[in-house]
This record gives sequence, C-alpha cells and structure tokens, in this order.
Amino acid sequence: MRVARGTRHGARGHAAGLLSAAFATIILLTSPAAGAAPGLAERVIEHKMANGLTVLLVERHQAPIVSINITFGVGGINELTGSTGVAHLYEHMAFKGTHTIGTKDYARERPLLDELDRLSTEIELRRAAGADAPELQRLRQAFKDMQYRADQLVVGNEMSLLYQRHGAVGLNASTGKDVTRYVISLPANRLPLWAAIESDRMAHPVLREFYKERAVVMEERRLRTDDSPNGLLYEAFAAAAFQAHPYGAPTIGWASDIQALTPAETERFFRTYYGPANATIGIVGDINPPEVIALIESTFGKIPSLPSPPPVVTAEPEQHGERRVEVEFDAEPIVLIGYHKPSIGHPDDFVFDVLESILSEGVTSRLYHRIVREKRLAPAIGADAGFPGTLAPNLFVISAASLAPHTTAEVETAVYEELERLKTEPVSAKELEKVLNNLDASLVRALRSNGGLAGQLAYFQTVARDWRYVLKARERIAAVTPQDIQRVARAYFTKANRTVATLVRAPKKS
Amino acid sequence: MRRISRQLSALSSFCAAVALIASLGCASGSVSAFFNQTNQTNQINQTDPRQMVFAPVAFTPPAPERVVLDNGMVVYLLEDHELPLVTITATIRTGGWLDPSDKIGLAGIAGATMRTGGTQRIGAAELDRELEHMAAPVSVGIGTESGSAMVDVLAKDLPRGLRLFADVLMTPAFDPARVELAKLQTIEGIRRRQDQPQSIVGREFAKLLYGPAHPYARESTVESVSKITRDDLLAFHANTVHPNGIILGVTGDFDRAAMLVLLKETFGAWAKGDVAPIVLPPVATDVAHADKTVVRFVGKSTSQTHLRVGHLSIKENDTDYPALTVLNDILGGSSFRSRLFNDVRTKRGLAYSVGSSFRAGVREQGVWAMRAETKVESTQEAISRLTANMEQLRAQPVTDEELAEAKESFVNSFVFSFASPSAIVGRLIGLEYDGLPKDFLQQLRDKVVKLTKEDLLAAARKQLHPDQLRILAVGPPNALVPLLSSFGEAKEIKLPPEG
Repeated sequence: MRVARGTRHGARGHAAGLLSAAFATIILLTSPAAGAAPGLAERVIEHKMANGLTVLLVERHQAPIVSINITFGVGGINELTGSTGVAHLYEHMAFKGTHTIGTKDYARERPLLDELDRLSTEIELRRAAGADAPELQRLRQAFKDMQYRADQLVVGNEMSLLYQRHGAVGLNASTGKDVTRYVISLPANRLPLWAAIESDRMAHPVLREFYKERAVVMEERRLRTDDSPNGLLYEAFAAAAFQAHPYGAPTIGWASDIQALTPAETERFFRTYYGPANATIGIVGDINPPEVIALIESTFGKIPSLPSPPPVVTAEPEQHGERRVEVEFDAEPIVLIGYHKPSIGHPDDFVFDVLESILSEGVTSRLYHRIVREKRLAPAIGADAGFPGTLAPNLFVISAASLAPHTTAEVETAVYEELERLKTEPVSAKELEKVLNNLDASLVRALRSNGGLAGQLAYFQTVARDWRYVLKARERIAAVTPQDIQRVARAYFTKANRTVATLVRAPKKS
Repeated sequence: MRRISRQLSALSSFCAAVALIASLGCASGSVSAFFNQTNQTNQINQTDPRQMVFAPVAFTPPAPERVVLDNGMVVYLLEDHELPLVTITATIRTGGWLDPSDKIGLAGIAGATMRTGGTQRIGAAELDRELEHMAAPVSVGIGTESGSAMVDVLAKDLPRGLRLFADVLMTPAFDPARVELAKLQTIEGIRRRQDQPQSIVGREFAKLLYGPAHPYARESTVESVSKITRDDLLAFHANTVHPNGIILGVTGDFDRAAMLVLLKETFGAWAKGDVAPIVLPPVATDVAHADKTVVRFVGKSTSQTHLRVGHLSIKENDTDYPALTVLNDILGGSSFRSRLFNDVRTKRGLAYSVGSSFRAGVREQGVWAMRAETKVESTQEAISRLTANMEQLRAQPVTDEELAEAKESFVNSFVFSFASPSAIVGRLIGLEYDGLPKDFLQQLRDKVVKLTKEDLLAAARKQLHPDQLRILAVGPPNALVPLLSSFGEAKEIKLPPEG
C-alpha cells in the first residue's frame, strides 16, 4: 500500500511500510539490470495459462517458505486527467475483501454499498448546485447512517488476518507508474490458502469501506508528499519535465483528484486493467512446481480473460528548451537534474544503464569522486536512469544536496562539467570493466532473496515482456563501447533537453 | 545497530520463539486446539480460506558452529553452497555510548572513516578502487551500543576480500582528507536534521523519554563534531576495537576447515585488549519518574501532526516481557490485525501510518510508544484514540480470538526467523552480544504459549501508565496548542535552527 517513486526496476525508490514506525527504503536490486545468475536461465519454470496469466517459478529449498509477487501491468501511466491516483487507490481497496472474505453477508451488504454511493453522488451534485446548509447536513447524516449500517456487515481486515494467522509475513503492495504489485511470504505448505485468497480477489473484489480508505490515502499523500521536502520536489520535477505524458502526474494522485474518486470509477479501472493476461505471478521458494502449477490452474484458471486494456496514446513531445522549477520548503536545498531519454529496450537505454553506473555507483564513481570527495560541494549524489518509470520514455536523473556554504548552483555547474567530459573523453576500459563486474555480482546476489527474485522475474516479464531481459541486458551492456557513451552523452545531455528542480528555503513566516 | 534492529522487529523475533513449538508438535492452549485438526498437507480440495487447516511447519534449521580463537575472537560459521558468495560480519563491542560529552559523534565518524580512510597497508583511494572493482562491498558502522562491519564477496575473491576487510578492522589509517570529509558530511547532516517532521519527532521523543544527555537520546552538534580530530579517531579505534570484543559471523560458500585456517592466519596475531563492559548512565530520575502526563510540541509548518505517545518501559529480563510483547502485538504491533490499525486507520480513516512499538531494553529501560500522522484538525481525535486503546488494555481482558490470533501468527511465522543462514547466524550473534542465553527465544516461546488473558490484563495494569504519558506533536504551532490542551499543558520545544 505504498507508492513507488522512480522505480527503474520496480524494486527501488521510496516505499513506506504499511504501518511501521520507519520509512523502509526497499533496495533489492542495486544495479542496472539486476537479476540472473549462473543457472538462472535453467532454474526458472515458465507457465502460461489459457486465460493469459503468466506464472514464473523457481525452486529454492533452504527453508520451508515461499515468496510470491503478483505484478499487474497497470499503474499511474494508465490514468487520465482528473483521475490521478486511481491505480493506487484501487491497490488499497484490493485489501478490503471479496464477495466472501471481509463480509458477514454480501447479499445484504451490496445494496447498502450501492445506496452509499448514490448518497455520495447526490451530496456532490447538490453541493455543486448550491444546496443550502440544512439540506447538505441532512444528506450527510443520511450518508453517515448508511455507512454505519454497512459497517455492521464488514469483517475488518479479514484477508490480512487470515494470512497472518497462517504465519504469513510481509503482506504488502505497491503502485508505481508502470506496475502494481502484491507481495507476501508464507510457509510453503500454505500456498493453497494464498491461491484461494488471491484468485478470489483477482476475480471478485468488493470495494467496501471506500470513503474511509480514500481518507487514508489522503493522509498517505500528506505524509509522503506534502510534508516531505523530497516528495514535493520530485512531484514538481516530474510535472515540469512531462507536459503531456502521464509520467508527469504523481502516482498517489493530485489531492483534488483523490478526493473526487468514486467507487464506480475505481471499480471500472479494476475491470479494465486487472485481467489475468495483464498479470504475472513470480513464485520462489520451497515448492514443487508441477503441484503449484496444478494449484494455480485449479484456482486462477477459472478467471475469465478480459479484453486487452487500451494502450497509452499520449507521447511526450520533444522538449525545446531548459525548464526550471523551484519548490519552497522549510528545509535545506536539494537539486534534481533530469534529461529525457528512451524507454526500456531501446538500444540507447543500455548505454544509460552503463552511464548510471559510471556516474554514481559507489564511492569511486565519477560524480561521487569529483563532486563529493574532490570539490566537496555535496554530501552525497546519485543518478537514476529510469525516472519515474521505464515502460515509456523517461528521465535520466541526477540528484544531490548541497554542502553548505556551497550552493546547488555550484553543484549544477560541477555536474555539467562531468557530463561534458563524457562527450569529449572516452571512458576507460577499467571503468567499463567495473560496471560489468558489479552487474555480474548483482545478478548472483539477486538470487539470495526469494522475494527479490520473485519480484524481479515478475517485473521484467511485465515491462519487458520477458523475464530473460536481465540476461539479455547483461550482454547488451557488455557490448557498450566508449564511443556509444560519447554519442549518447552528446545526444541527450543537452541544455534544451534538461529539467532542473530546486528545493529552496521558504521565506520566514512571521 | 544490530541491537536496535532486533528490537524494532520485536514481533518477528517473537515469532521466532514459537516456531519451535510447531516442530515439537505444538503446545497447550488455543494453539494446540488449532493444530489438533491438522494432519493433511496438500489441501488443494479445500476451497474456503477460512476453513483451511495445514500441517505445522516442520523445520530443523541448520546449526552454526561456534569457535573461539586464541585471542578471544568468537566466530560463528555456517556453510551454504547455493551461490558462490561469502558474507562475513563483525559485531564489535564499541559504541557511541563511549563518546565524550564534548565530542558526541566521535564513534559514528570513527565507523565511517574506518571504512573510507584506508589502512596501514593500502591507501584510501586504492582500497576503494579495489573493493569496488571486485564488487565486494565493505561497510562499517558504529551505533550507540555496538559496532558492525561486513564484507560481501564472491567466493573466488574471498582471500583478498577478507584481507582488506581485516585490515579495515585492525589497522585503519584514517586518511586526513577522508576524516575531514566525514566531518563535513556529518555537519551537513546536522544542518538538515530539522528538514523532515518524521525525523524531528523520533529524535525529540527519545529526548523526552531519556533526557537530552542520555546516550539513547543525545545528539551531535556542529560544535561537537568540529572538535573531533584524527588523533581522537586513532585513539577511539585503538581503545575500543579488540579481537576479544568481536564476534564474527561467516556464512556462504566456503569450507569450514579452510575458513578457520584462513581466519587464524588473518586475525591470529591481533592482540587482545581491554574490552569495556557497556555501562550506561541511569535515566535521570526526574525524567524516569515524572508521575503525570507531559505534553510537548515542536512547531513546523506541516499538513499533518506527527505524533508520538508513550513512556519508558521494562528491560528484557523483566518477567512481564512476554506479556507486553503480546499486548503490543494486539494493540498496534501487528499491522492489519492490530486494534490501532483497525480503529484509527480502517474505521476512522484518520491516518495512513499508525501503530505501536514495544522495545525492551537490555541495559536500560526500553520504550512503549504509539505513533500516528494525521491531518492537523484530527489531532485531538487521534490522540484520544491512541490513549483510549491503551487504556482499554488495562480495563478489560483481550478477547479469546485476539489472543489466539496473536499466538497462531507467532507460531506459524516462526520459520521466517530461519529464512537464511545469515539470519540464523545474525540472531545467535545478537543474543550473545547482549548476554542473553542462546535459547532466549525458546524460553520466550514457552512463556508466550502459556499466557492467558488474565496474565495480559495484569501486565497491562502494572506496566502501562496512561496517566504518565509523554505526548509529542510536531505541527503548526498555532493550530496545535488548542488541540493539545485537553491532554495537559502543552509546552513548546524550541529547536536550534541548524541541528
């Protein structure tokens, strides 16, 4: 139930735990194309079902546990103006149960939910029409009364309770620009429980407790964006860089859009994008693949296929001139520098993977070495080759704080010097070797975690249409030459293609 | 840090405890009632998730080997040949509690620069290049009550990776330029401390509970960090990092006999030193025993009120530890299942993030705390719900269902405490470091399964003090004051503008 921001490979970015005291930054994969290892190609079992659902399985028998990642090819990228946040709100609603789970009596509950929606619509219509206060008060009271009656039939958080009683851990979900993911780990012999619950919620979700959950999402927005210097800056940055494409809107949604979302609209979104052919299940752990496939066939196999969801038609036009935005906040300065670049799979995208590593991976990377260690302009600096998603043309982003008394303007200048150097001097063979060594090691390390591997397989199957992407990308990355890097740097790292966002301290209020 | 991570995940270590029940055929009470019906394994025929029953998870985790080198260094080893990787951790008996009061931050900078400052054998820049070229990350960090270091290396690079790691531990050179940079980075961190309300509320709450001078709460300042010299770092390392204060954890793709030879070659000549037992100053009496609720706020222009409500709690050896662990799980520690989640989030829509945490201390009192972030106008309602739920634990026994659910969750998720060799080894090291018995979790398990509603009620009445709370709110001051007034006189904590 979190919003993933800037998730090049789905596993990175900001993510807050559902409930916990701390922000959990999930870093499962650390380098460009994390993921395979010696033997991964042989260890993955792929199963495609008649209704289009894809299942990817890997056996790991170290402990009698299993991790599962269900990734849907839907996210903020599929939202339209006025409905931003609907992908994420649906993800929250997916925890509210089904026709059988989360309710004492769905037959009695359904008409009450319908009546609630009718009252909510009426309140909005009457308010817009200028109804007087007593009338609105009467309608709101009727809404509250109806909500109370509906609540009497709810079994709160029953789905989660069932999972937890059976020892499941890590129940969560996240929504990004490209994908929406549902994750859990449980004792391996409880897979039938998982299959029953998940196939039910893929087919028969009920959007109960909608209005309260919408308020919860508003609190999430306040927490993650409105009260967070980074959150607010990234939101303004994306909005400046993307003027047409949905990558410009926040995944959590603009506040006014969230508050206007309705159950009907949210359910319509589900009916459009949550078909089995738009989903991939990654399962890694102590499993017997034929048994698991039989289990999934007997449960998920009953879900009818849906028509293909509509494609995203809007493309971001070429940028003609630098864009600069400022965000005022009661905090110290931060700067984001972004350049438009192509989507996953484009030949130049592999070059950007290499650039990300050369510029920002580790303390010997070019930006850290020059700007943090030599010039001491920033306490830290980072680069990300896929913000805020990877499916569509996206941004290469460099982010840094300034180290006082230095300014973000000085950081910018130093960054541009390094980018210019890429255009004029070929990178060394040693640097390219380091990139590949780290990529290869990360491919091995990715196999250490059931959840990480399940997520990686499902992610690339969704955004690259092939879980083997990580293996193929490794070969493409290995083939990148110093000349490729010079060419790409010259083509993309231009002022006209640049967006810069700066966090500045707000003038003191009296 | 290890210590803290174990405490923050109180429930998961708690789960670890009970898992053995499952493998032992389960114990008494409602847990066994739950399991009595279960003897099937693959219930593909079962269709209603509410009716499903499963066999207990039988699992005997591999047992690490424990070896003590002649110089007192303790080594835990557990082979795992699935992947060609070796991970070595060092848990070091040092910590920020040793910082002189005018040089707070010393231990933290010592940890950072042990890693970045090179060693007597290899310069800082060359060390970085070599480690990053072979994709073998080495990290060092020193927290309040312990230090930790790690190397994660491809098995083919083990000898070189271990050599560099050991040099970082034994003979760090504290390159002056790297020391200077670490100080600048730390100072910049101090300057940015008040940027995020989340960070403010956490740090100020610790001060409110322990007092601002206690090692659990005190903070470095621009002044204290500026005073730290390279000589201080050399001395701190020489005086506090000794082989007889280190526990190594070695997991991955190696042969135990060859590894022991290698470790003896590498660390054998490192001489023992004086390892100081961790001694923390007592919590100031007026802080610990203030007998009424204290309300404080920090002014910040935010859209939400960032709340902490709680008080100091018990040590881990307290007989009420098992009961409080379960009470916290029911109140707000167990995510979706908890009372606070259901009441504050699901039913009222007041917060995205709400819950409670219970952290028992090993050497000092721990903390019982509830948290929520809610839009400013809901502040009063949110605090009222937090305190009401806490009071409810003292007013009435928990329900049979709640207790059964807590125990079942506990038992059935136990296996996740043994999810990987590094988790198994890390757990044993954490217990040894804290002087807790290696069967601490089994003992806890035995106590937890026997707990009754009445036990929980008695513990709640003894250990929870809704009339002696510390309430801390970060938010817009003019709006907050009236919203907080019903809980006590709200006084402002003025923060220094930079750190």
